Amino acid sequence: MPPKSKAAPKPKGTEPSKQPTPTPSPASNTTAVPATIAARSQFRYDDSRPHDAARLKIGLAGLPRDEQAAWISARFARTPAARTRLPPKAQRELWRQVNEASFPVRALRGSKHSWGRDRNESEVSGYSAERFDEREGRRAQLTCLEVASRGFRERREREGKGVRDIVTGDKIVVTEAEVEAERIRRGEMAALRSELYGTVQGSFALDPEWDDIVPIPQGEPEAALAAIAYPADYDEAISYLRAVMLKKEYSQRCLRLTETIIEMNPAHYTVWLYRASNVFALKLPITDEMEWLNKVALVNLKNYQIWHHRHLLVDNLYPTLAGNPDELARFATTERKFLTQILVQDTKNYHVWSYRSYLVGKLGVWGSPEELKSIEDLIDDDVRNNSAWSHRFFLVFSDPAHTTPGLAATEPDPAAPQDITDREVEYAKEKINLAPQNQSPWNYLKGVLVKGSQKLSSVEDFASGFVKGLGNKDGSEAVQSTHALDLLAEIYAEKREKEKADLCLRRLGEKWDRIRIGYWEWRRKCLEEA
Amino acid sequence: MKSSFQQRSPPQPQDDSETDEECITERTHYPAFMIPDLFTQLPLVRDALVTSTSQTQDETVDTCLPYLAGEDELFMYNLHGVPNLDRERHIKFLHSSLGRLPGRFLAADASRPWFLYWALSALAIMGEDVSSYREALVDTARGMQNETGGFGGGGKQTSHIATTYAIVLALALVGGEDAFEVIDRKSLWSWLCELKQPDGGFQVFLGGEEDIRGAYCTAVIIRLLNLPLDLTPTSPAWTSDGTVDLFSGVGDYVRRCQTFEGGISGQPNAEAHGAYAFCALGALALLGDPRRTIPRYLDVPRLISWLSSRQYAPEAGFSGRTNKLVDGCYSHWVGGCFPLIEACLSSPGAPDQAAGHPANAVRLPPVPESLFSREGLIRYILCCCQDQSKRGGLRDKPGKMSDAYHSCYVLSGLSSAQHQWQLAPSGTEDDSTAATVDLVWTVLPYLDDVQVFDQKNLVRPIHPVYAIPLHSQQAIRSYFLAKEGF
Ligand SMILES: [Zn+2]
Repeated sequence: MPPKSKAAPKPKGTEPSKQPTPTPSPASNTTAVPATIAARSQFRYDDSRPHDAARLKIGLAGLPRDEQAAWISARFARTPAARTRLPPKAQRELWRQVNEASFPVRALRGSKHSWGRDRNESEVSGYSAERFDEREGRRAQLTCLEVASRGFRERREREGKGVRDIVTGDKIVVTEAEVEAERIRRGEMAALRSELYGTVQGSFALDPEWDDIVPIPQGEPEAALAAIAYPADYDEAISYLRAVMLKKEYSQRCLRLTETIIEMNPAHYTVWLYRASNVFALKLPITDEMEWLNKVALVNLKNYQIWHHRHLLVDNLYPTLAGNPDELARFATTERKFLTQILVQDTKNYHVWSYRSYLVGKLGVWGSPEELKSIEDLIDDDVRNNSAWSHRFFLVFSDPAHTTPGLAATEPDPAAPQDITDREVEYAKEKINLAPQNQSPWNYLKGVLVKGSQKLSSVEDFASGFVKGLGNKDGSEAVQSTHALDLLAEIYAEKREKEKADLCLRRLGEKWDRIRIGYWEWRRKCLEEA
Repeated sequence: MKSSFQQRSPPQPQDDSETDEECITERTHYPAFMIPDLFTQLPLVRDALVTSTSQTQDETVDTCLPYLAGEDELFMYNLHGVPNLDRERHIKFLHSSLGRLPGRFLAADASRPWFLYWALSALAIMGEDVSSYREALVDTARGMQNETGGFGGGGKQTSHIATTYAIVLALALVGGEDAFEVIDRKSLWSWLCELKQPDGGFQVFLGGEEDIRGAYCTAVIIRLLNLPLDLTPTSPAWTSDGTVDLFSGVGDYVRRCQTFEGGISGQPNAEAHGAYAFCALGALALLGDPRRTIPRYLDVPRLISWLSSRQYAPEAGFSGRTNKLVDGCYSHWVGGCFPLIEACLSSPGAPDQAAGHPANAVRLPPVPESLFSREGLIRYILCCCQDQSKRGGLRDKPGKMSDAYHSCYVLSGLSSAQHQWQLAPSGTEDDSTAATVDLVWTVLPYLDDVQVFDQKNLVRPIHPVYAIPLHSQQAIRSYFLAKEGF
């Protein structure tokens, strides 16, 4: 099938109506200013091919005779293969016509050129000439910077290989100033790339300090499950982390790298572990690291790794404190202050409390009045803070000064001093009186009694005070604390008063704590076994 | 003292003068659901003293009550005021959580294996066939495995016991030789030996913290993959006389984690916490016959007392610690302890309880019905933990976003509440033989006097120790039992 006459290839995005009409007279060039560079190209193209646009539109036969002749002459003139097939006479005639009409002898080739897109995904072809020149200027600027940057990298490489300068004969040394200049240069390059192409470059790729590291990308299979679309900066930082971890590098820059990643994702345990290795390998002052960590902890209250990191730091620091009681006490005080600060914001934070009990054990400050006071303050703030109650139990009953090693927490300890047991029983009672349905001090009370080998019945009167007329059917039964009733059941069982114990359990299940009826029924069965 | 004596009378009918009209007309439309007032009223005994704990507790009850009382507009309730399990939405939610995750999931970058396990487990509990994920999981898991043994939270991350546990369970869930063979058992075994500590516990990664999760996760891995118990000479716990193995001292470590309250802490000397209770019981149950190992190392009456105290009314779900709030995930961490404990107490032919904790000197009787309110837990789960918007998934409590973690553990808890497990008699005295490890567990749906959920809401049973469906557990263990060498 013969091809229909097709329009000459036009750059995309140009409106046909805006095409300047090609005129045979080159003089008119100056009058029509093309709106875009694409239009300008089209204009130049058409200008180099007289009558061609019109021919394509209406066919050769449609042109006036003289234009037909001119077009044919021009065509032959610039097509050597066709021209040389003409007899010599015809060739001479051709050149005469060409000279007379002053045709452009060279025609521009069809413009398939792609101008590309700018940072906003717009076609550069739609730029005005002025704007385009400006862009080209920046591109040239970028190229210059790139050349200079390549020069820097080459110099660095030579420095690394110990190459000598050809002129001076000295070993090549890249100065700090050069590095700094390169850093600035890369910043400019990144700005230009972003402006021209919208590409964002990671800060590590821009930093000459990291030139020697080849980042290791994630490289997950396409179909990987629950893969996370990494933000670009995280993706880059993590690729550098993999590379430095692989070569087991420990350095200041690695430390900074871990900080960057921790800021973005504090739950990344691998980076924390690696950070600790850096701190220890570089023998950095532990206190500096603790100070840095304090800041991180305050903004990441729920984070878990922070507290293990702290644990490692204290393990590392401890030998330097061990021989010096003053230093040790000072350290214990600063830590307590910090923990108080954290616990104000999150009073039951499990990791903080776990760390605190570790710290007490490590520093051996069970008997510290400040520690006990600090816990009492928290209980005074909220008598229902069970974490504080748990810590108190640990402080009082795990003190190696009066603890039999190897016993379970729920076992009696013959080493528990009577006065301490009494003191703690009184403390628990006092707090129970504030809010009798608060389970924390009841659990504590029972824990203390068992640990101190006291009979549960020693608090029978106290517990009975919260229960009135149990089992009465006249409506006078009143229970102020289900925990008191629970303890009474145990007290009666201890005293072998099974019926009274059973009544407590039955009333708990029937009325006062119905959600736990299955448990209370099982407890009644336990009474039968005893 | 007198001021705090405040017994609460049952709530009075709404004072209409204080309610706006819109509300009144709406209220009259409610059908008379059969909901025990236990779940619609404040507890009988309350204190007057206000502290931050009581404030958040009261707010939580206020949030939950309308859901428990059949007043949520998004739900369709049955006669008992209980909505259906919205399987379709939850399944969709879980499938999408296995797809590509947006950048805001960055914090999960070191725990992706967990996401795989949570989603696959939740789907499996709802009866979905997850084997279609096998190929993708095999590829994903391979990229997370380290040559030095174990799996990290992602590619080229340090191996971690928790993420290794999660991957192993995920592979067990999708099943099949291809999945099982991903695991380099030999390097895994020697890595576990490196984690083993002289005090019996395990570090969670080399140089990491030591806690009870380490003990449970290791025990699960060892049993599922049938790894040898011998220690390598490079293990920190290795002794020249060869008396110490991977399980030595685990029971004592668990024992040191029981607190005066009766619950279990993550490390010795910390606060009792629901998540660790499940880990402790699971670890002991994997050492040998749980009817012997649990009472040997734990004060069982005090433990049961603490576990039972975790269920509150009217919310009816479980909390994780004393004086903390109800949260759907403890349906598994706390609720999941009960099937195991009930089975230990109630299965016929229980061996004599060997001398263990002095508190267990008295024989502990079988459980008459159930140690916890199964109806309560089922109500909390179906009424409060379902995200009924287009999003789907299960959650901590009303007002919180659903997520894969809560979906998994809320559904596990639902399964625990709906089923009852029994252990076949075991004759052998030696805990470490295969006979005690492969105890015969049988399961039946739990039959309550009144079943408050519709039959179609029954989910699949999950193994009370491994927390995956029984057949998945059996398939992977028998695969490796039959295999010789690594
Ligand atoms: Zn939760």
